[in-house]
Amino acid sequence: MENRRITDHPILDFSEGEVIPFTFDGKPMEGRSGDTIASALHANGVKVLGYHFKTKRPRGFYCAIGNCSSCLMVVNGQSNVRTCTEPLLPGMKVETQIDRGVPDDV
Amino acid sequence: MNLPKSASVVIVGGGISGCAIAWNLANRGVKDIVVLEKDTLANGSTGRCGAGIRMQWGAEKNCRLAQFSVNFFENANDILAYERDIEFEQSGYLIIAANEAEAQQFRKNVALQNSLGIPSVFLSPEEATAIVPYINATQFVAATFCQKDGHLNPFHTTDAFAIAAERLGVRIFKHTEVTGIEVKNNRIESVDTTGGRIATHIVVNAAGGWSKAIGKMAGVDVPVYVQRHQILVTEPLEPILGPMVMGFSYNIYIQQVPHGSIIMGRSDHTEPRDFRTTSGWKFIEEMTKTCGTLLPYLRTAKILRQWAGHYCMTEDAQPIYGPVPEVEGMYLACGFSGHGFMLAPATAELISEMILGEPLTIDVSDLDIGRFKRRELVREQSVV
Repeated sequence: MENRRITDHPILDFSEGEVIPFTFDGKPMEGRSGDTIASALHANGVKVLGYHFKTKRPRGFYCAIGNCSSCLMVVNGQSNVRTCTEPLLPGMKVETQIDRGVPDDV
Repeated sequence: MNLPKSASVVIVGGGISGCAIAWNLANRGVKDIVVLEKDTLANGSTGRCGAGIRMQWGAEKNCRLAQFSVNFFENANDILAYERDIEFEQSGYLIIAANEAEAQQFRKNVALQNSLGIPSVFLSPEEATAIVPYINATQFVAATFCQKDGHLNPFHTTDAFAIAAERLGVRIFKHTEVTGIEVKNNRIESVDTTGGRIATHIVVNAAGGWSKAIGKMAGVDVPVYVQRHQILVTEPLEPILGPMVMGFSYNIYIQQVPHGSIIMGRSDHTEPRDFRTTSGWKFIEEMTKTCGTLLPYLRTAKILRQWAGHYCMTEDAQPIYGPVPEVEGMYLACGFSGHGFMLAPATAELISEMILGEPLTIDVSDLDIGRFKRRELVREQSVV
């Protein structure tokens, strides 16, 4: 996929940090230290993060501040993770969410 | 739409009770009914409530009122010819007993309920976990369950009554506040509003938290007070809860709406008696602690928001139904103490029968306003 990493931003500075490996729906991908899960996916050209549980319409990166629920994904088996604010960690298993999710222990 | 100069019946309050009474009266052929609502429909307690309905009560009258209402709600989409759906889900109520004393009371409750045809059962904690799989069975000694209990959408239900009433000629005026009630020779003559005066001899006071103020306008002391009750709602989750779970000692009710959100509330009798509807930290701390103990897996569910509404309380937590002795023409349908939504179909039936002088479907003569002066309070233990 094309590299969509944002390098030029009017307010924020981005440093080229160390490489962080993770997987998206089983595919190996790379992010950088300082990435949130969603920013790493964006840099990798991933636009669809989940599907609305009822309408099944695709949902993408939207508010980017943990408010809108558009970026909810399954991370390491846990559903409803707000990937736009959750820091990316090495080895994370990130998956597209297609339902409403359940609490951890269920 | 201008206010009419006169009306046969003026109903004050556009919540579930007022709208249901309006429909019921119109459905019996009464003409020229007016409903006055100072805000929007279901803006008060109705639209803020937990929206559950249960037939599992400890007092026979409450069982009968709820049973009547369940039977109505089962067919309400058809009866009211509602194009949408009131979303009545009979997913049941599981009521837990925290101690042996409560369990004893529940045994009596189930015996009473069964004698009235209410299909409730008494369960061990193990049997209860078969119905609510993730409940912490170490936290209660027994439970009762009734599959016919459930919950419904309070906005759609109010809408269904209002639309059906308007179809029968009822005129509903929103943003129209009652400012005074004229009484002559102990009889109601007219109602003053922000939209003008309506001559009438019958006023139904279904104003919920504001019923005391409405009563006062006619010189009637309605013995109710208002208290804030808070609720919170989580993010939508896959269906995991099953029935409404309720505990009286635990002071909790919790349900999962069809959308997937989980709604939970509890009472705090130390709340000041006023009209505040703000949200507070104390509630959210206590609520999450109780919920986390009883349903530990919900500890990781994210709370989206909380809100508050009023309980219009009476001394015995029972409604006040019927006429008042001092002023001819005023009928009370208030003081529901947190149960006005679920009882609305019965409320509408009974108030209509009282106004038309027909025999009562359920004898609620002891739920009159006079019981407080007579000190004949009606006791019901099974309330949150």
